[in-house]
Amino acid sequence: MSAKSKLNQIKAFFKKPHNIILVVLLVVLGYLTLVPLLTIILDTVTVHSSEARFVKKPVGSLTLYHWTKMFASGITSQKTFYEPFVNTMVVAFLSCVLAIIIGGFFAWTVTRTNIRAKAFISTVFVFPYIMPAWTLAMAWLNFFRNSRIGGAPGLFTVFTGLETPNWFAYGLFPIVVVQGLHYAPFAYILIGGILRNMDANLEEAAMLLHANRMQIMMKVTLPIVRPALLSTFLLVFSSTMSAFAVPAFLGSPVRYQVLTTQMYRTLNGMNPGYGYIMALVMIVIGVGILMLNQWITGRRKSYTTITGKSSNISLFNLRKARTPLTVILITILMMIAILPLVSFAIESFIMAPGDYSFSNFTSEFWIGKGRADIANSEPGILRNPSIWLGLTNSLKLSIIISLIAGTVGMLSGYAIAKRRGSKLSTWVNNLTFFPYLMPSMAFGAIFLSMFAVRRGLIPAMYGSFWLLVIVGAVKYLPFASRSGINAMLQLSGEIEEAGTIMGVGWFKRMTRIIFPIQKTTFISGYLLPFISCMRELSLFILLVSPSTRILTTLLFQYNEKGWNQYANAINLMIVVIVVGFNLLINKLTGASIDKGIGNN
Amino acid sequence: MPRIELKHITKKFGKFVAVDDLNMVIEDRSFVTLLGPSGCGKTTTLRMIAGLETPTEGIITINDKVVFSSEDGIDVPPDKRDVGFLFQNYALWPHMTVYKNIAFGLENLKWSKEAIKTRVEELLAMLKISEFAGRYPSELSGGQQQRVAIARTLATGPKVLFMDEPLSNLDAKLRMEMRSELKRLHRETDSTFVYVTHDQLEAMTLSSMVCLMKNGYMQQYAPPLEVYRKPANTFTADFVGSPNINLVDGVVDQEKPIVLKLTNTVRLVFQPKTNIAVRQGQAIVLGLRPEHIAVTQMKADAEAEVLSSLPSGMETIIALSMDDIRLHSVVFGDIDFEVGKSVGLSFGHGVFNLFDKESGKNVGQGTLFRA
Repeated sequence: MSAKSKLNQIKAFFKKPHNIILVVLLVVLGYLTLVPLLTIILDTVTVHSSEARFVKKPVGSLTLYHWTKMFASGITSQKTFYEPFVNTMVVAFLSCVLAIIIGGFFAWTVTRTNIRAKAFISTVFVFPYIMPAWTLAMAWLNFFRNSRIGGAPGLFTVFTGLETPNWFAYGLFPIVVVQGLHYAPFAYILIGGILRNMDANLEEAAMLLHANRMQIMMKVTLPIVRPALLSTFLLVFSSTMSAFAVPAFLGSPVRYQVLTTQMYRTLNGMNPGYGYIMALVMIVIGVGILMLNQWITGRRKSYTTITGKSSNISLFNLRKARTPLTVILITILMMIAILPLVSFAIESFIMAPGDYSFSNFTSEFWIGKGRADIANSEPGILRNPSIWLGLTNSLKLSIIISLIAGTVGMLSGYAIAKRRGSKLSTWVNNLTFFPYLMPSMAFGAIFLSMFAVRRGLIPAMYGSFWLLVIVGAVKYLPFASRSGINAMLQLSGEIEEAGTIMGVGWFKRMTRIIFPIQKTTFISGYLLPFISCMRELSLFILLVSPSTRILTTLLFQYNEKGWNQYANAINLMIVVIVVGFNLLINKLTGASIDKGIGNN
Repeated sequence: MPRIELKHITKKFGKFVAVDDLNMVIEDRSFVTLLGPSGCGKTTTLRMIAGLETPTEGIITINDKVVFSSEDGIDVPPDKRDVGFLFQNYALWPHMTVYKNIAFGLENLKWSKEAIKTRVEELLAMLKISEFAGRYPSELSGGQQQRVAIARTLATGPKVLFMDEPLSNLDAKLRMEMRSELKRLHRETDSTFVYVTHDQLEAMTLSSMVCLMKNGYMQQYAPPLEVYRKPANTFTADFVGSPNINLVDGVVDQEKPIVLKLTNTVRLVFQPKTNIAVRQGQAIVLGLRPEHIAVTQMKADAEAEVLSSLPSGMETIIALSMDDIRLHSVVFGDIDFEVGKSVGLSFGHGVFNLFDKESGKNVGQGTLFRA
């Protein structure tokens, strides 16, 4: 082939919008994800300014100090790495099992039995996932905290007079329960999707061969969904593994450390090198999980894929258990989705914590001007300028991030699906998913160190609002690009080509043909980043400055200071915004978060 | 007027060669079908002419204007090629009504509202779907969707119309109906049709030229009846015609006159129509169209046993065993044959094709009689 025709090929390549998108994404995402990864690796072998004293080497020089300290220094390694590591694995594993049992049971009940109030159950069951992760953790503390750790006892102790033991109130047990409940909806969405899409003929064929319900369940349904179940397990595992807020709330009172809390301490403290090693360990596990998942779903694809419509499967008749079971499920839902909110409301109106008598109720923390004797004259949250600033920042940040991530995700989904099978498309696909595997906190820390100084054309951004925007947009891109790819794969290429051939320009094809057809899935791609961002703590916690503080970091600060009522009030505010927004979008457009993560 | 020319067109997907050095001319107002088994490169070829796919190498001209050239870096976008494309799955936009689907392309060309209305109504009437103007595609049957897709494609009045297996999603009866509809449209619209199909019957009945393809290579490019009468090789012979042609292996026993030995007992003289070159001992394949094998009692060229008989009223297809060689024959009329019965075969009518066994190529045509 001549040089000229080679050049012509390159020209032809860049005439296609999807090629331009892919190349731009490759460059930008390569810079924003791979460079951070390299920086992390480099940071684990560099002497940081805070450590120069122990390492006895100049700042910036290379050292194996962190690695030896972390992995091969007896009791130090035991305390800083091995113990939190084992804790992390135990917590992640147990919460995962719990999430799958609860989520799977609800999914099976809703898709395969004649339970009542299905619509209500599926709407409300997703709430714990939409709400910030620590919502349930705070609720747990509101109910079960004991006075041994210090502070006022929770509602449970006040009403029953029983003091909760430490293992029940703090540490492993509540973390597992709370995380299990938080991720149960995630499992519910994934497993429900599988059950709904599974060809009912497979079960009906077994029924015609005189298999009973139990046999069908054990011999047909479970084996068929097992690969998908395993893949659900892995996805939930990687999420629980990198969760920070819940262990921070429930573990710290009894010094129960996991990798993320340890990472927060070290990155924020004297030994960032340790933190980066932990981040690296988590990234490696995450990548391993992803590869395992791809291997499982790839290998078993032949029989997990969606084959038919199960519209008319005969539902399992619960008979007499129908109404009682419905009542039980709704009660559980009330306890995990509604009751926490009630507790926040109550807590935010209590003057002296632990005293629930009527005379102790006050609106001080909502609309008070601030009193010198409480919380350094901090005004009530509705007239508190820093809360309003946080709220505006949170909304502004979430909206901008969701617009960026949603749009980029949609375009990347478009381009990836268009060039499916090509190397370029595979690379970009992996790059858009990579941020999902980066532990939020480490991601934040890296961006902090990367962009604190001027880099080429990019000015120093420390403390800048736009730094938060970039971090968030990259971190939430995986959600949006997943929905984008899903949407595009459902759409035959001919739909767009029919427009091309009539001379409809690319922009018009996108806005008039592709977007309107897959509207709900694309909007879900905008919704997920918005919701995730509204309730994100660990990603931003190291990056905010006083002028860019957001609701979640405010909440964390109030909680650390022990100003419980403010924290509860802010949490209520976040939950109301997030749930309300979700329901609104859902009603208006039909988009919902389960459409975004539903079919991975 | 639009005459399409492909010169040395090659398309590779990575290492896979989908179309290899394809040369063809599509004359103005012809109805050309690209025919072949799946994966033979016919759809790729169509999409390259339309501009939806970029060839790796070669030149395409439409109406003597170069629309693609890998050497000169010319790649005219599809909408500037003045072509229409009818997709296999219709590709109707589900969020637009039938009216809107047809009007969208015209709006895009900045036609006036009245002009669009007139044109859309004309098309709706032409395709007999006026009453569905307000419906959405999902509210239409397959055949109706097909008509809408055709109307949408014709709206801008393209001079060349490309169709990618447009009838494959329709049931047998509708397919018949749409075939004659397409022939009518071809006449009425006065344009060039290029049509992709894997159904040889469709290609035979519709087109003025058939381009048979296999594994990215063009096998034969000729009018349908010529492909039928004089297939270029054993592949095209086998692909066209139903029931299939009988391809019988044999050897040249004698050069002058040419005697073919099919089995130990069946030896036939092949009387070529033109001069052909065969040598003694050459392995050959003899093509016998089923309708050219007559079942007779007297003056038989060979004997065979009836294995099965499938009478359909107008004709009967019989499977025969001639010294363990399986043959199919078509006998016209409402006759049935007794299975297991011995019958005589005559090759007295029709022209037969002789192929070289090794290359598969057509060596020549001729008549047969008993040696």
